[in-house]
Amino acid sequence: MLYRTAGQFKTSYKTDQALFPIRQDAILLAIILVFVWVIFPLTASEFTFQAILIPVLIFALASMGLNILTGFAGQLSLGTGAFMGVGAYACYKMITLMPWMNPIVAILLSGVFSAGIGVVFGIPSLRIKGFYLAIATLAAQFFLVWLFEKWAWLYNYNSSGAIQVPNLEMFGTYISGPQAASVTEYYVVLFVVTLLTMLCINLTRGNLGRTWKATRDMDIAAELIGINLMKSKLTAFAISSYIVGVAGALYVFMWKGAAEPNVFDIPLSFQVLFIAIIGGLGSIMGNFLGAILIVGLPVVLNLLPNLLGIPIDSAMVEHLNIMIVGSLIIFFLIIEPHGLARLWALIREKLIIWPFPH
Amino acid sequence: MKHFAKLAAAAVVASVTAGAAMAEGLYTPNLSYRTGPFAATGIPLMNGQADYMNMLNARDGGIGGVMIDFDECETGYSTEKGVECYEKTKGKAIVTQPWSTGITLQVLPKTNVDEIPILAPGYGFSPMMDGKTFQWAFNAPSGYWDGADMIIQYLESQGDLAGKKIAFLHLDHPYGKEPIPVLEALAAAKGFEFTPIPVGLKEMQNQSAQWLQIRRMRPDNVIMWGWGAMNAGAITEAVKTKYPMENFIGVWWAGHDADLKIVGEDGKGYKSISWSFPNPDAPVMADIQKHVVEAGNTQSNPEEMSGVFYSRGIVISAILAEGIAVAQEHFGTAEINASQLRWGLENINMTEERIAELGLDGMVPPFATSCSNHTGNSGGWMLEWDGSKFVKASDLLTPNTDAYAALVAEKAGEYATSNAPWPVNEECEG
Repeated sequence: MLYRTAGQFKTSYKTDQALFPIRQDAILLAIILVFVWVIFPLTASEFTFQAILIPVLIFALASMGLNILTGFAGQLSLGTGAFMGVGAYACYKMITLMPWMNPIVAILLSGVFSAGIGVVFGIPSLRIKGFYLAIATLAAQFFLVWLFEKWAWLYNYNSSGAIQVPNLEMFGTYISGPQAASVTEYYVVLFVVTLLTMLCINLTRGNLGRTWKATRDMDIAAELIGINLMKSKLTAFAISSYIVGVAGALYVFMWKGAAEPNVFDIPLSFQVLFIAIIGGLGSIMGNFLGAILIVGLPVVLNLLPNLLGIPIDSAMVEHLNIMIVGSLIIFFLIIEPHGLARLWALIREKLIIWPFPH
Repeated sequence: MKHFAKLAAAAVVASVTAGAAMAEGLYTPNLSYRTGPFAATGIPLMNGQADYMNMLNARDGGIGGVMIDFDECETGYSTEKGVECYEKTKGKAIVTQPWSTGITLQVLPKTNVDEIPILAPGYGFSPMMDGKTFQWAFNAPSGYWDGADMIIQYLESQGDLAGKKIAFLHLDHPYGKEPIPVLEALAAAKGFEFTPIPVGLKEMQNQSAQWLQIRRMRPDNVIMWGWGAMNAGAITEAVKTKYPMENFIGVWWAGHDADLKIVGEDGKGYKSISWSFPNPDAPVMADIQKHVVEAGNTQSNPEEMSGVFYSRGIVISAILAEGIAVAQEHFGTAEINASQLRWGLENINMTEERIAELGLDGMVPPFATSCSNHTGNSGGWMLEWDGSKFVKASDLLTPNTDAYAALVAEKAGEYATSNAPWPVNEECEG
């Protein structure tokens, strides 16, 4: 009913290959964009910004970076947390060494460092595949976190070993640090996430994306049709680590405000990997759906008992929360093993042909 | 659909009535951790804190006639949850109790902007002592640098330290690294050899490498800055490697009864510096027994209640309650706000008489905070494990704060510059 495609004719190949072959998709996206760019910032409370909106966006971005590598290029990685850390520490060093630097430029540049490190740790992918590669990226995870702890220069010889975000100004307003308003931080995150999402959509639909998908689906066949596997895999590592690094810089600078090395440890890598898997490997939208489920939902669930006036211990809520989110993950993976993005695709297909079953 | 609408309507009604029912009294949230890897040490502390406030509510009807709305927000010791909890509670909270050095570091700059006092008794960032710079942060009654100084004082009282070897076994985390600057300065001054031995978060339960190093090094003393599973790990390793327990000293967070009960008699002689002590005969314990335990409102049990950590929870809540009472008296209003509580916490004067009046006899040493000193430097006792419980092994030790006053000022200044613009309270004197 809502997705009726009657009357939408495609008269050229260009329209048939368009990003939104169905008009309703474009309208839906426009509505979502209006919500995130205008309505949420106008209505959200500081808690909503800090506990839901900003982290969901940041985790979606990190997961998008991982998805490029794992979902599109088929290279399993367990080092996401450490690459986020590289981005965060690079941004911290740039900001403290060059305080005149524009913070948004610094955040976007910090990805370059993690891209470099990502390529170095991606080199084994030329020889090893699958689980073996996962173990090689695990080495990156352990090594980099160890480095964040031991290399005092990275945290400016701070006695507590943690990095702390200074107040950063741009055009007379604070955009990062304790003085910054949540709504400003939200807009910065939203701007970076929108920019990189557009970049990812275009990359994955273009030549490079097709090369990655060919590598993922069967690397020998891809090589036979003339794809340079080294280039394909290493670009995937570079671009993936770039996005992950930017997400890491946002994670510390726009959200947490301070970080010690162990926040970049393996639980963070797993969290991002779960978002990517539950959202849907090989999809862009899935990252946002996955982040809403894994990052946003527990926060909302935590608030529920209080809102409903159920007197219950905070610790008990936390236990229930873990159980509910865990069972939801299992539930979604049973009804659609390819993730939430695929689930949405199926629903959309059904809506298009509604009321007919086929 | 109809069914769903009904449910939704019910939810809305319930939330409105619940909103009206709550929000009475002074809201003092606690960012607790009853779950996660540190739960074993967290639970007794949280129980002690909650029981004391419940006791005040039941016995006196709160403080100054206003009930205390003591709420917990579970963090599981995770800094991410900590930020979530801080944002959730800050709207009406008059205090924030972050309960982890990591969360403290994160919320410290924010509290300055949001103007909510942060109460971190015996933990957090040691330079918080400088009340001029850290206007909104309090770590009364003792900071980590006090603890480090008192431990060295105690060791010195046992014999000259020159030429001795002291190993410093610590969690490789902001918390474990806190006392290093002071210990290094003391090592230079007293002429002992100081070797930090870090324990990574992943190695907490398996410290064989660290203890091998200790066995090779044969230090005269081992000082431990451990937390959670690390303490039990270190104590069992020490017993296994037959390290003389009487030369093994922990910070106050490494003096948990349950960790020592694992080794029992073998742990005899282990020491821990502490600014709190469990006194089962203190009047406050009887009141808690009468008003909270017998009313069935406690989550604790008798064994836990006799321990060091439960009584420390009581002391922590007592400090907060005293801050509230002082503020109420000064401002002449029972419904104080966050900035009034800040004044109260800054003007606590826990004299012996006041401690006795509160029924806390022998549970906390006397101390006083001021505008420029937010720690109070109460000093503490050296506790010793006698095989079944902790007993006092020394008289009250008081830290020699002059030795690191310059360091406090330096680190506080560094913090203020790196977080510029950072307001400094110039009105304070001395």
